[in-house]
Amino acid sequence: MANPQTNQPAHVKHYFVSSEQQFDAAKMGMWLFLVTEILLFSGMFVAYTIYRSWHPETWMALSTALDWKLGGLNTLVLLASSFTVAMGINQIQRGNQKGLLINLILTFVFAGVFLVVKYFEYAAKIEHGLLPGAAFDPHGISHGFDYATYNVPYGPQFFSIYFVMTGIHGFHVLVGMGLFAWITWKAKNGAFSADYYTPVENCGLYWHLVDIIWIFLFPLLYLI
Amino acid sequence: MSHDSGHHIIPVKMLYAVIGILVFLTVLTVALAQVELGVFEVPVALAIALTKAGFVVMIFMALKWDNRVNATILAVGGLFVVVFITFILLDTEYRGDLSNTTEGTIMDQQRADQAMEGREPERADIQFNRQ
Repeated sequence: MANPQTNQPAHVKHYFVSSEQQFDAAKMGMWLFLVTEILLFSGMFVAYTIYRSWHPETWMALSTALDWKLGGLNTLVLLASSFTVAMGINQIQRGNQKGLLINLILTFVFAGVFLVVKYFEYAAKIEHGLLPGAAFDPHGISHGFDYATYNVPYGPQFFSIYFVMTGIHGFHVLVGMGLFAWITWKAKNGAFSADYYTPVENCGLYWHLVDIIWIFLFPLLYLI
Repeated sequence: MSHDSGHHIIPVKMLYAVIGILVFLTVLTVALAQVELGVFEVPVALAIALTKAGFVVMIFMALKWDNRVNATILAVGGLFVVVFITFILLDTEYRGDLSNTTEGTIMDQQRADQAMEGREPERADIQFNRQ
């Protein structure tokens, strides 16, 4: 397994002194990337803050248009997926490849569940014309509730912010599913061990950040 | 190749405790949203969300045991977000107030005017009382 020229494990690139240094460098790069992700979302949170402070009554009225039960369910699903990622890393740190594989598959499944729930939420919004910008046209009656009552001033702006924030977050979940499919495949082929699990660690960090963004989106959009 | 990678292994028990706390805080934030909290609504929701994010960052992302440089990177990122939001709010909430000599901010006055306009049916009375 060892590289004959450097006398280091095969996964260590020649420009690193040790496996540990390579791991730390990759992880620091990941944290820098996560900060750029935080700043990307902070722009949207700023838009949210301004519109909310200007039109609090719109936010009061339209947060009830979002289904807190589905939003809450998705919060629990993402928390569970964060937990399985942390468990997977715990397993591979102990050298348990099978434990890692099971937890990675569970994470992928939870991410899929999140997007399926999101699909049903979006479908209901689209059906009743709760759409961003000029497309905003609340109509229809469901369970005895007339959606036309959601036709309040600045409703289009509320749903622009809702769809952009949850949409870009949802895209991150989709990217996460791709990443987890990739590392699950690698884990299945025995690519990771207690000595080398850098891709698992970094995909895990990315996934936790996606979870944290939703931890803020859920109360701010659905609850208050 | 040593078998011990030297990384801190978070005990499974602690991971279970953290997911328990996170689920509890989610239930708490949903429950508190049903209660009328007035001006504390946003601060309470944000405080719970920040606590949850703190647990995810410190334990699940293992920042507690990680190289301090990563904590510094995150802290600087957080600082930039605070600067971003604070300075934008200083503009949008106090726009035009530098030369404003009346009581209350211009935003307050605009909100009061909008509330007045909202009361369409009694508009003539309001206008009368105002003058």
